[in-house]
Amino acid sequence: MNDAPITSAEAMVQETDDDTSFRRLHPLSIILKSVSAIGQNLIAMGVLYFSVFDQNIVYAGLAALALMTIIIGVTALIWSRFTYHIGPKEIRIKSGLISRNNRSIPFDRIQDVSLEQKLVSRILGLATVKLETGASAGEDGKLDALALADAQALRDALRDYKSGIAASGSDRTDGAIDSSETDARPPIFAMDNRRIFIAGLFNFSFVLLAILAAIAQNLDFLLPDEFFNPWYWAEQLSEQDVVNGLSFTAQIAGAVGALISLIAVGIGSGIIRTFIREYGFRLDRVDTGQPGFRRRRGLFTLTDMVMPIHRVQAAILRTSPIRQRFGWHHLKFQSLASDGSGESDHSAAPCAQIEEVDPILAETNIANVTPDLQFQRVDAALWWRDAVILTIVLSAVSIGNGLFVHPGLYALILLAIPIIAVMFLNWRYHQYALTATQLFVRAGWWRRKLTILPIRKIQTVDISQSPLDHPLDLATVTVGIAGGSAMSPLKINDIPREQAMALREQLI
Amino acid sequence: MTETVSTIDDPLAEMEQDKARAYNQGLTPLHPPQKSLIRLNVGIMTGILFIAAVIVEFAIRNELPLAAGSIIGPVAAFALFLFVMLPGRIYRRWGYDMGDEQLRVLRGFMWRTDTIVPFNRIQHIDVAQGPFQRMFGLSTLIVHTAGTHNSIVTLPGLSTPDAESMRDTIKGHIRQDMI
Repeated sequence: MNDAPITSAEAMVQETDDDTSFRRLHPLSIILKSVSAIGQNLIAMGVLYFSVFDQNIVYAGLAALALMTIIIGVTALIWSRFTYHIGPKEIRIKSGLISRNNRSIPFDRIQDVSLEQKLVSRILGLATVKLETGASAGEDGKLDALALADAQALRDALRDYKSGIAASGSDRTDGAIDSSETDARPPIFAMDNRRIFIAGLFNFSFVLLAILAAIAQNLDFLLPDEFFNPWYWAEQLSEQDVVNGLSFTAQIAGAVGALISLIAVGIGSGIIRTFIREYGFRLDRVDTGQPGFRRRRGLFTLTDMVMPIHRVQAAILRTSPIRQRFGWHHLKFQSLASDGSGESDHSAAPCAQIEEVDPILAETNIANVTPDLQFQRVDAALWWRDAVILTIVLSAVSIGNGLFVHPGLYALILLAIPIIAVMFLNWRYHQYALTATQLFVRAGWWRRKLTILPIRKIQTVDISQSPLDHPLDLATVTVGIAGGSAMSPLKINDIPREQAMALREQLI
Repeated sequence: MTETVSTIDDPLAEMEQDKARAYNQGLTPLHPPQKSLIRLNVGIMTGILFIAAVIVEFAIRNELPLAAGSIIGPVAAFALFLFVMLPGRIYRRWGYDMGDEQLRVLRGFMWRTDTIVPFNRIQHIDVAQGPFQRMFGLSTLIVHTAGTHNSIVTLPGLSTPDAESMRDTIKGHIRQDMI
């Protein structure tokens, strides 16, 4: 980035660059980190107990004690070498035991600030401060952990600095984002337990099943040797007269029952996961300092994030065919920084009707789709060209397998039907529209995604053609926006090249 | 470029006159020595290909009763074809345009890409030079944007003074705190 603010801030800090102005993290954070480190080493201790120490509890206890002392000692040493300083324009973090690292983050460059409280830190009254600049994948500044009051003070210091720029030194001295102030006003969006339940219904996942499978894998010494051998089960089943004795309908009913229980597990784990993440979801508008959004959520791990509105690059509305039938949408905001939980975009309303989405969008000056907006389809080659390639490849595969392996494998060609159907539907739902200030792009039939991008947020525009595009004179437009996933940038696929050129003229 | 201009009845040369269909759409071509550099790179690449073919031929010579040169021959022909055909085409497809407000970069022979970067979206600029480039007096202009896609746009094959003057032009447009 440009170096002007960094150098000036550094020059200012030079005079205060003595160790007295630097502060340490809260001492309890030693315990916090030790606990998690010991937890990780618990399994190793268990293994040692059974193997090296031959189940001798005295030796194992001594070893465990030594290990704990080392862990706590090292954690304390790291803690004593980790100091931070909040200057007038930047935050400085010194860290490292042997190789020292001295980082300075100018307030200008901080995208969003989030406070996170895991279950243990909530009991101890601590909070982790995460500062995002968008420079790297993870957070760039992590203070783990401060007393909750200190963490809030740090956030307010950042906010005051920004308001100082916005209002150029007006007498805004009070106005911490204390909960009494924002809680007095109704939130822009909040989810009650019923809504979280609905969100969970659509959050189908097999995580629980995977966990069960992992447990089964790790405890497999308790299971019969051949548990994971499918032939063993096939033999068992075919030998069982019970199954053979049943009528055909009963066998079907059994299979349907198994399927239903699988779906129930998927839905159940989706609901549990959603409750853990979204419990008490509340989105407020913060007006002290720079206008921004403040989002609080979490059942065990509380997160409290503040994100300035002007950092929002684009709005993303996600839904699926079933969800859309009931009118539910997931609103996200794309910004340079990524959301804490590994998502690239900031979730602003996980499950909301369009009437609820519109007011949130209005806060960011992004307009939603109006009924009279004309969406344009892309060229039909998007689906038929892929369909032709797929058919050729699949028929080669099925003929090869049918001839040499088993005649039944000719049926592989039938796979083409559902895949081509999905390609066709994906083409139907890939549309775009352009207004004077915004670009709308729809993509995906099953995972529907509508991206609303203010044109002034566009960084670059690419027009690219693959060798297959040349004969049809088609082109793909790729729009570079700050933030989001590098793997799936915003694209308008396969439109005629002249149209792409004209569209680009309007975008830049 | 000299070959195509001299033979005017070549259909390729005709195409060059037609701006919409022209390889580089009437944009500024790269500094001519860049063509030699591309030829050098393609030469190294095809050389490696040729050496690999020689190794493969000698390795399987005892296993399979092949006529001498039955691998080297076709590979050498293909390598020669690439060496003769590719550099000119790659060079012609490159083009750039310094507008008042934006930089346009066109590249690619089979996979074509046409990028526009507005100057005020550029975060910082590099002018880079490798050892071979220094031999030919060439430089690469690299602009960094805040976009996640296309965060780095490179334009190789500029003469070093050109690259430096472009950098100075763009520098004046860099704005602070866009994102």
